[in-house]
Amino acid sequence: MSIDRREFMYGLGASLGGVALTDLLSSDLLANNTNDDLKNDSPLAAKPLHVPAKAKACIMLYMAGGPSHIDTFDPKPKLDELDMKKFVRKDKFASAMASGERYFVKSPFNFRQVGESGISMCEHFRHLGSVADELCVYRGCQAESINHPTANYHMNTGNRFGGDPAIGAWVTYGLGSENQDLPGFIVLPEVAYPQGGSANWSNGYLPPYFQGTTLRAKGSPILNLFPPTGISRDHQRKNLDLLARLNEQHAQAHPDHDELAARIQNYEMTFRMQMQVPEILDIKNETQSTREAYGLDDLLTQDFGRRCLMARRLVEQGVRFVQVYTAGWDSHDYIERAHSQRIRSIDKPMTALIQDLKQRGMLDETLVIWTGEFGRSPDNGKRGGGQRAGRDHNAKAMAMLLAGGGVNAGHYVGATDELGEKAVECVNPIRNFHVTLLRLMGLDDNKLTFFHGGRFKQLSQTGGELIEELIG
Amino acid sequence: MNRNAIKTVFLACVLFVVPLCTFGQQPSGEPTADAEEVFAQRVLPIFKARCFSCHGDEPDDLRGEFDMRTLDSILKGGESGDPGMVPGNADQSLIFQAINWDELEMPPKENDRLNADQIQYVKRWINDGAPWPSEQRIAEILRTTDAKWNTHEGVKVKTSRGLSDDWTNRRYKLEDLWAYQPIRNVEFEIQPASRNPIDVFINRKLTAAGITPLPKADRAALIRRLTYDLTGLPPTPESVQAFVNDTSDDAIQKLINQLLASPRYGEQWGKHWLDVVRYADSAGFSNDFARPNAWRYRDYVIRSFNMDKPYDRFLQEQIAGDELFPEDPDSQIATGFLRMGPWEHTAMSVAAVTRQQFLDDVTNQVGVTFLAHELRCASCHDHKFDPIPTVDYYRMQAVFASTQFVDRFLPYQSHENTTGFEEGKTRIENLQKLKGPKSLTTIPRDQWPVESWDADTETKGHKKVANKRTQILNRELKRFKPFALSVYSGPDRDFTSMKIYAMMPKKKQMKGNVAETRILTGGSIESPSEPVTAGVMSVVESQRVKLNVGSGKRVTEFKIPNTIAGRRAALAKWMTLEDHPLTARVIANRVWQFHFGKGLAGNPNNFGATGKKPTHPELLDFLASYLIENDWSLKKLHRLILTSDTWQRATGPNLPSIAETDPDNLLYARFTPRRLSAEEIRDSMLFVSGELNLTEGGIPARPEINLEVAMQPRHIMGSVAPAYQPSPTPSQRNRRTIYAERIRTLRDPMLEVFNQPSLDLSCEARDASTITPQAFTLLNSQNSFDRSLAMAHRLSQSHNSIEDQIRSGFKIAFGRSASDQELKQCLVHYRQMLIIHQDSLPALSKPPTYVIREMVEEMTGLAFFWVEDLDVYAGDYQADLKPWDVSPEVRALADICLVLFNANEFVYVY
Repeated sequence: MSIDRREFMYGLGASLGGVALTDLLSSDLLANNTNDDLKNDSPLAAKPLHVPAKAKACIMLYMAGGPSHIDTFDPKPKLDELDMKKFVRKDKFASAMASGERYFVKSPFNFRQVGESGISMCEHFRHLGSVADELCVYRGCQAESINHPTANYHMNTGNRFGGDPAIGAWVTYGLGSENQDLPGFIVLPEVAYPQGGSANWSNGYLPPYFQGTTLRAKGSPILNLFPPTGISRDHQRKNLDLLARLNEQHAQAHPDHDELAARIQNYEMTFRMQMQVPEILDIKNETQSTREAYGLDDLLTQDFGRRCLMARRLVEQGVRFVQVYTAGWDSHDYIERAHSQRIRSIDKPMTALIQDLKQRGMLDETLVIWTGEFGRSPDNGKRGGGQRAGRDHNAKAMAMLLAGGGVNAGHYVGATDELGEKAVECVNPIRNFHVTLLRLMGLDDNKLTFFHGGRFKQLSQTGGELIEELIG
Repeated sequence: MNRNAIKTVFLACVLFVVPLCTFGQQPSGEPTADAEEVFAQRVLPIFKARCFSCHGDEPDDLRGEFDMRTLDSILKGGESGDPGMVPGNADQSLIFQAINWDELEMPPKENDRLNADQIQYVKRWINDGAPWPSEQRIAEILRTTDAKWNTHEGVKVKTSRGLSDDWTNRRYKLEDLWAYQPIRNVEFEIQPASRNPIDVFINRKLTAAGITPLPKADRAALIRRLTYDLTGLPPTPESVQAFVNDTSDDAIQKLINQLLASPRYGEQWGKHWLDVVRYADSAGFSNDFARPNAWRYRDYVIRSFNMDKPYDRFLQEQIAGDELFPEDPDSQIATGFLRMGPWEHTAMSVAAVTRQQFLDDVTNQVGVTFLAHELRCASCHDHKFDPIPTVDYYRMQAVFASTQFVDRFLPYQSHENTTGFEEGKTRIENLQKLKGPKSLTTIPRDQWPVESWDADTETKGHKKVANKRTQILNRELKRFKPFALSVYSGPDRDFTSMKIYAMMPKKKQMKGNVAETRILTGGSIESPSEPVTAGVMSVVESQRVKLNVGSGKRVTEFKIPNTIAGRRAALAKWMTLEDHPLTARVIANRVWQFHFGKGLAGNPNNFGATGKKPTHPELLDFLASYLIENDWSLKKLHRLILTSDTWQRATGPNLPSIAETDPDNLLYARFTPRRLSAEEIRDSMLFVSGELNLTEGGIPARPEINLEVAMQPRHIMGSVAPAYQPSPTPSQRNRRTIYAERIRTLRDPMLEVFNQPSLDLSCEARDASTITPQAFTLLNSQNSFDRSLAMAHRLSQSHNSIEDQIRSGFKIAFGRSASDQELKQCLVHYRQMLIIHQDSLPALSKPPTYVIREMVEEMTGLAFFWVEDLDVYAGDYQADLKPWDVSPEVRALADICLVLFNANEFVYVY
């Protein structure tokens, strides 16, 4: 078998530039190949598009917990009339949470229309209005699951039960990466992982090169990037030198075993990555005005702001898909306090992100998506005996924002009913949103397949429809 | 049937009985027919199945405004304005270009793409003028020519029935039906008699390909390969020496028997089974609550392998142990198999949906595990590729309609390990007395992540966290009670994850109804259609019945009773019928795969049309027959395989002839080297370092995992999951990996990075990728440093000179002596390292005794904080050997040990 050259490549520091490995390899595995050849065979090498598209990269801002569409981008005046009005729901297909005695809840927020497009936004979006005309507000998507982990899996992987590849893995598999020194799919989680955990950014059955690499918010950004304290770089180099010698002798005894070379190379990569990763993460050189714009000086916005800034930097470096998580949207009670805080924590950073991308001329090529796993209900149940204005989970209605990357900016697409209970216009399941997301990035869901377990598998599971209205 | 598989007669030739084929013959080539006939028999059915859904079925919503239902509308074409077809010229015809994926690509999905034969028929029809006869004429053609076409590229298969006549009457390629054919009674004669029959099959193909296989591997390689294969651990230097020196003819047999008799065998092969069934100690999803008694199933599996439980019995116990063997405790534990999938029902889910989710999961998992069929594919529509109608899917699902969850009270058997129960229980009871989350004010101010916080938010938040902690601790206590994760057959009942115990109902409550099983249109519980009764795969039954016609035996289709009890028992009986075509093949193929790295049939979970076909079908049938002949003994099958020349071949040096003719080694001219599995790497490091505790079974061990991951906050319903703390003592932690707790939402990153599969999906074969994070893990992790230090300590205790220490290190890690050159290189390295270590004293570090947590309180939208005590680290925890416990000499030697663990030679088996 010819050597599987793809095995050489993975993520951070995967470029072959400056690798002095050929002399470590006893055979002529690499002799007939220039580095460029190897690069072209890398699983992360840039690949041709299926269809022409503007977006080269995607930043997905993921609001874990399920933000309320009714209190953000989909105002429902009808609820003002019905506020606190009671009713009883009995439905075999309703969860215990949504059953029994219910009462309607009006939005505690005022709305204003912003931009030339006149998009409605909750009053706590104080900054986002300035980029309103870059936004496409989509109110027709429907999830299927009303439970967080399954809904997260559905939104992220197309499969409610987890285990399948995440969108970022698919996109990287389909397009490769523009930068061989970085993974194609990077996840910027909060300190705490969302429900469902790392399966939300899994490579599933795709090769592991496409797994989402988390740059952890605290501690070592990549696990085991460095040896335990007390081991100097020189010390480690010496260990690696002995390892290389032992491996060299072993390779001579097993000239037919191709994987040995790949494994040798991986050890050299680790050594280089220890230098490179901290450089990538260092935001010291960003200007004070940038820091201010992203809200890095404010306790409320700095966590999300730092990760939005990091997302911009990574995309600038050629990373294909960046996902930024922020949780706390599961406002069953006291939605006024909870949602106003959450909204303010993301408002400034995400506005800065869109403006920053635009100023750098990157917005056209960068698809920005804002979404949660589902929307919220117009009504609430009693908990602990009291009525506290909040909202339960709602799979039938939600709000998403799309910006940049060839989207139908400055428009509303789709609508929910007068209570915000379910989508009624331009209604599409998540799989259609996935098909559309892929198309915006130049990929055809039906062609982006991977043969596994005897079947060509795809993000939409069994195929889906394009939501043309979202495309500009 | 006479299954007398082997006759050892001295003859120079090998005779094969002509394979039995119950589907009839399938001649090759196209039948002679005129264009109208081709259209009626082939082209129109293709159009209907693959084109009309977008180009005809919904006249108001035609894709590309192109209607294919009539000749005129095809000729008219779609929105492009060009005609869709040029009769007489396929190459110029848009529809032909489209199905040929020539610029246009139709049907657009890869799964629906037409095969070469189908494309050829359409081409032939167009080139012959594209006639489109009337409906009456088509019916007439079908009536008069069916017999002729029946014998051509495709046979019909009798099943219960499809949702449509088109599906019911569709044709299958004979080669795609291999798995439903009866297992061939392969009689052949071997010369010389001592020859292993496996080699006869393998060598026949090699000879035909003109390939001379590699010779046997040398003895040192063989013992290493064999020991890893059967035990997942390396051989000791002593056993290598003994085997290399044992020149007797039966040396390898003795070694095989010895390893098969070792308890390590069940641990290694049990691991393979747990991959297939997705074993985990937690339930997954939003709470990921513990399944505190699941370990009894894990130990049951290991025990079953070790005692060589006949596989038919092993299957029956897992499907219906409660019904078939109610007096046998292990048979009750075995039914935990049916509950291995992730499952959760809370106020946030719909009961009917959760129940359906279980039914779908268990039906599919039974299909995948024992029958190598993804039955789930047929839940929404008749199977696209296999003769599995949706009706059959719901008939199979109806078998489980009366299956209910129970935590079965089952006193521990003498062979179950219950050590550590008292201390474990005491620990949980002590934790229950404590409040749980503490305010930041209980720790020094300089450690506060913030200066101030909202008191109301804190109160609310702490209450929720404490509540969740109580739920978790209550489940932990269940670990020490003799319950088994099990099932019973009974009327409908509700279950919720919020109840800790699912107790066996009283006799009175055992009366009631079982939900009627209905076909769910599109797989949706909101669209039930006609009811079905429990049944089995009809394709298997129709072949079994057909085969026995005229045999004198009266065989009728297998029936599953419609009573509450006995459905699963009947299913298990059906699956273990001697003439069941799938069961024995499926397990024989899995066994082969775990010995060779690939199955004879390349997708052990999929024997359907899209799975890889067997490379050596007669051999697979022979192995299946052999297994049944030998009372389903897996150990006998292992012996047969391991004593074959095929298994004992060298991996190299490869011959150019092999490399060119058979680069993927499908003909087994050589043995394919393999990388150790995740568990084998961890276990081998502990074995080599002398730390491995070989205690068997019991409540899950908690090894040390990457500390950052252990402390990583993870959102669960309403809280953050508690930090992962290891078992307190090194011997409790350093158990074999199969005994480590498997938490669905908290995987050991070291195992994950080395391809331990997902705990949610059945894994038919592990990957062995080579990716950079593996190097980080093995080179930089605390685990690697701890094992290296322990190994160095062990070497320094047993040998005085550094030379002897290094020599011994090579022997225990690689099973061979260090070369002079290697010894020299290591000595040079040692001296350099010694200088470094003498110059620097290791900094003392201790694990944290508490961790600060942060969460956003959903009621207020504000963050709150709490201090979570780490009771193990603050209490009885004993660290492994650390750098500050040993001399600079040992630390310098540990650097060499670290390199040995990272070496290619350590992680590959040849």
